[in-house]
This record gives sequence, structure tokens and C-alpha cells, in this order.
Amino acid sequence: MSIERKFQTAAYVLFIAVIFAAPVFGDEFWLNRISKYLVYGMLGVAIALTWGYAGILNLGQGLFFGLGAYMLAMSLKLSSPTSLQQGSDKPVPDFMLWNAEPGAPTQLCCINKGSFLWLPFQSQSVGLVLGIVLPVVIAGALGMLVFRKRISGVFVSIITLALVLLVRLIMVDAQPVTNGFNGLTDLGWLTIGGIEFDPYSRATYYLCAVCLSLTLIGARLIVETRAGMILQAIRDDQVRARYLGFDVSLYQVFFFVISAGIAGVAGMLYVVVAEFASPTFMDLSFSVTMVVWAAVGGRSSLLGACIGAILINMIEAEVSETEALVEAWKAIIGLIFVLVVLFMPRGLGGLAHDVLRQFIRRLKPGAASSSLQQQSEAL
Amino acid sequence: MLDILFIGLSLGSILLLVALGLAITYGAMGVINMAHGEMVMIGAYVAVLSGIWLKASLLLAIPLAFVVTALLGLLIERVVVRRLYGRLLDTLLATWGIAILLQQAVRLEFGLSFFGIHVEGLGAGLQNVAVPSYLQGTFRLASADINAYRTFIIVVTAVLTLATWFILYRTAAGMQVRAIIRNPKMAAACGIDVKRVNAMTFAFGSGLAGVAGVMMSGFKTVFPDMGTTMVVDGFMVVVTGGVGSLFGTILSSGLLGEINALVAIGTNDILARAVVFGVVILVILVKPSGLFSFKGR
Repeated sequence: MSIERKFQTAAYVLFIAVIFAAPVFGDEFWLNRISKYLVYGMLGVAIALTWGYAGILNLGQGLFFGLGAYMLAMSLKLSSPTSLQQGSDKPVPDFMLWNAEPGAPTQLCCINKGSFLWLPFQSQSVGLVLGIVLPVVIAGALGMLVFRKRISGVFVSIITLALVLLVRLIMVDAQPVTNGFNGLTDLGWLTIGGIEFDPYSRATYYLCAVCLSLTLIGARLIVETRAGMILQAIRDDQVRARYLGFDVSLYQVFFFVISAGIAGVAGMLYVVVAEFASPTFMDLSFSVTMVVWAAVGGRSSLLGACIGAILINMIEAEVSETEALVEAWKAIIGLIFVLVVLFMPRGLGGLAHDVLRQFIRRLKPGAASSSLQQQSEAL
Repeated sequence: MLDILFIGLSLGSILLLVALGLAITYGAMGVINMAHGEMVMIGAYVAVLSGIWLKASLLLAIPLAFVVTALLGLLIERVVVRRLYGRLLDTLLATWGIAILLQQAVRLEFGLSFFGIHVEGLGAGLQNVAVPSYLQGTFRLASADINAYRTFIIVVTAVLTLATWFILYRTAAGMQVRAIIRNPKMAAACGIDVKRVNAMTFAFGSGLAGVAGVMMSGFKTVFPDMGTTMVVDGFMVVVTGGVGSLFGTILSSGLLGEINALVAIGTNDILARAVVFGVVILVILVKPSGLFSFKGR
């Protein structure tokens, strides 16, 4: 193991140790807020995986996040007390009855044309399973269509962008079933194996922390497998990889699907922490914002993108409590973004990498050869 | 039926004005300008401000907006875009940052609100622009009520499209732009000042977006965030039509405008937009290079 690898491993261990130790330092409101940032960190990893390692800039990651969120939110909506008090012996979402025609039945099967879609969500595990299965299936189908046709670069970005906006519009238009612009609010708590995940509890925080840690470690391991190496080769020169006999599209689809799965889980966790699901998850600006986090943190560094997401959100929360800066903060983000793209294209992660390399070179001149080797791998 | 087709045509012409600029900057320079929508927004604000401060009519705002947004485009090209040629996705990201900056600049009244100074017409609120009386109302044509302002939009678009075509295909400068579209390196080797031509192209595209903004201000509310949907729509048109094809851009903006209008009449506006996105996705899946692409770079 080279020194550089040791430092990288140390960085992962340190980061995971910090997020597990964090609950010591704050009250429950602080915990709830940090839980959200950890969820955003997962999105950062998902973006880095496709953008940094596969070279696919997905401008519609919010689609997978939103689908995960809505699937679990539908289940949690049906398990909330308000859904039980709607004049039916089975739970019914309150908004559905408000919007129903007078005299409509109060059974989920037939309040309106689409209400039967909610029937399976009476079981919480259906929401949990669909929250990851649906993003994965859709990403798989989309990936097969797009990458088999060798569509690449900006056209993938345009397709994903159009798709997330398309789904968002449909969700908004299907007001009777999805509550349209208002989204799903007033949700119950997630319950797994007798543990209730109160959004302001340590249990929920640790749920997010464990999920983020597993995501980070899993993503790290997977990019270091043979498949991950081939993927990076594809990113760097797709045509050459194809001539070497690799099934390029298969690798791209595989990593696209994994990234979608992570985003789906992140969406579910967000619902548990924030207790709502809204069409804004599928706004273009949210999907682009994720890309901003990853770019600032370092698109080709999984940990960097994750820390970038957490850091930007922490600073944003601090700044937006200073009244004069609430509006200016957005402008500052815009400026940071332009500067990062211009002068630091590899983000904070790339910067850390360079500093580390300098440090190692000074520490031990003999290590220069191995770091050179690393460099050629990185390029 | 005729009036629906006409509404589609006017929707398509706004799309075309936005997309023309995107098409020439993307096609000629390989730059995805996400701040293009903000040029539309700023064009609309020029119409608002010139109405308030100069008491000028919408007609005078058109050249004014063209100049303002073209200069702004030139500035953006000089300061940011110039450093990013050849890094397609990075241009997308950097110009997104610029878009946020411009939105916030308008919302914060160029930062003057921090000093307690209020610029009338700017800020987070909604703005409206009065359409001159001779452009209001409708007239009858072949048993259909035709809106005068929509006709005006179509005429302005037609004139600007013709001008663009003329510049691209009948002038020396246009010849240089087309040479760069085909092969930038070869063009540079032939002695074309690629940097200068690129800057001019970018400025011209931005100027067209500014004019589109003035047109928009006549029938939609003006607010700082209005650009984002515009740039998305513009991109859909460019990609559907085929990058680098002026003809394709014109036809696809007409096509998407008509689809939007027809579906909107049958169902509602939200579904109409959804259908347009669906059509665009299908087109890219079936013909990734667009409907009317030519074999170029």
C-alpha cells in the first residue's frame, strides 16, 4: 500500500469517525439539520460516481432522489394519524378526500381514477422496497436505451434533464393522486423492527450516518474493482475501450444504476428526516445544485464530493441566519462556482490531492516514483 | 383550428429567437450557455426600465435590449467563456454560475439594495410592460381571430431570422463563422481570428436573446427567475433540430411550438410542456444528432 493510499484510507476513517461522533456536540435540532447534510453527502457521492468516474453528467439526478422520496413518503403518509381519521377503517390520505367529488367513496380503491395506486403502500415495506427498486429499474431502462445507442456527453445531460422535468410536470398535473405542487406532508414515522425513527432522534441521525458510511465505503470499493477501472478507461477514451473489446454500454449502465440507487436511498432518508416530499426535489435547480456540490468538493473524489455537499450546506445554513446575506448567499454560490470551474476544475478534493502529494514528496524523496505511478493512473 | 395553429406559430417564434442564439453559440463555439435564459430576462428588464426611466415604448426597447445584452455577452465571453473552449460540460457549469449571479444581481438591484438605494423596476417583485395600443386587440383573417401582438412577434422573429441567415450566408463574417462551425482548427490555420469571431458570435447570440426578452415582456410577467425555463426550452429546440443547423432550429422551434399549442388546447399547459419534453427525449433517442443535422465536426 503506497503512502498516498494510506492517507486516503485515513481520510475515510477520520471522516466516518467524525460523523459518528457528531451527536455529542449538539442538540436535537442541530442533529436533524446535520442528518439532512449527510443525505446531501450521499447525493454528492452519487454524482461523483457517474460524473467523475463514468464521465456522465446527469442533470436529472433529482429524478431518482424524488422517486425514492415519493415512494417512501406515500407509505409514511398512510401510516400517519391524520390518514387514519378520514372516515374509513383503512387509512386514506387527507388531501385525497378534500379534492374528491362530493359523495365519492372513502375507500382507497376508488376515491378518484388513480387512487388505487396507493393501495400497496398500506404496507411500509412496499414503500421502502419501491424507493430503491423504482429508481434502479428506471435508471436501468433509461441507461440501456441511452448507452446502447452510444449517446454520450451533453446529449445524456439533455435527456436526463428533460426526463426529470417531464416527471415533475406529470407529478404536479396528477394533483388528485400526488397532491400536486403541495407535495406530501404530515407523514408518519418510519418504523423498522420496532424502532421508531423520530426525525429529531439520535436513531435517525445514526441511520443517516450508517447509510452514508456504507455508501462511501461501497462506492470506494466498487471503483477499485476491475469494473471500476474499466469504467475510468471508458471515461478517458470510449472508442479505445470499445476496440479493446469491452462492452462499454454495460459498464456505463451498471454505474448509472448504482448512482440512481444511492439517490433513491438518499430520497427515502430525506423523507424520514424532513417529513415531507415535494415536487421541488425534481426541479432543475436542485439537480444542478447537486452537481455544484460535487464540482466544488471534487468530482473525481468520492469523499471530496461528499464533503463538498456537507460543507456548502453547512455554510449556507450559517450564512442564511445573517439577514443581510440571505439573498447575497446565492450570488456568492454562483461566484464560487464560476471560480471553481475556472481555477480549480478538480475541486477541493483535487486540491487536497495535490497538497498531499507535495507533502509526501518532501517527507520521503524515494516515494516520488510511486506517486508518479499514481499520477499516471489518475490521468 | 387556424387560430390554434397561429398561437403555436407565435410560441414557436419566441422559442426560435431564444434558440437562434443558443444554436449559433453552441454550434459555432461548442459552448453551452446556461446564462442565455438570463439574457432573455435582462432583455425583458431593459423593456421594463426603459419604460419607467425613458418613457420609451416597446419598439425602442428592442434595439436597446439588443445592445445591452450583446455587450453583456461580450463581457461574459471575455471574462469566463474564453478560458473554457474545448471543455463543453465545464462551460455548462460555469455559465450556470453566471446565470445565478445575474439573477441575484437583478433581485438585489445590482447590489445597491445593500446601501438602501432602490432602483425602480428591479428587485424581486413582478413587473409588467405595457404594449402600445396599436399592437393590442385582434383582427380577423380567414374566419379566425388573430392577435395583433402575436403577429408582431412573428414578424420581428422573421426579420431577425432573415438577418441572421443573411449574416451567416451572405457576408464575409458569416463565412468565417461557418468555417469555424465545420472545423475550428482548420479555420484558424486559414488565418481566421477564431477568438475574435467567437466573441462576436457570442455577443450576437446574446443580443438575439435580449430581443426575445423584450417580446416576452409584452405578454408575460417579468421576474428575476424567468430565464431558467427559457434556456431549457431553447436547448430542447437546438438539440431536436440538430446542432449547427439553422434550418433545423427553425423547423424544430415551429414543431415544438405547435405541439405545445395543440396539446395545451386539448388538455392543459402543464401536460403540454410534459409532452414537449417527451417528444424531445424520443427525438434524441431515435436520432441522437437531431432531426436536421449535417455531417460536420
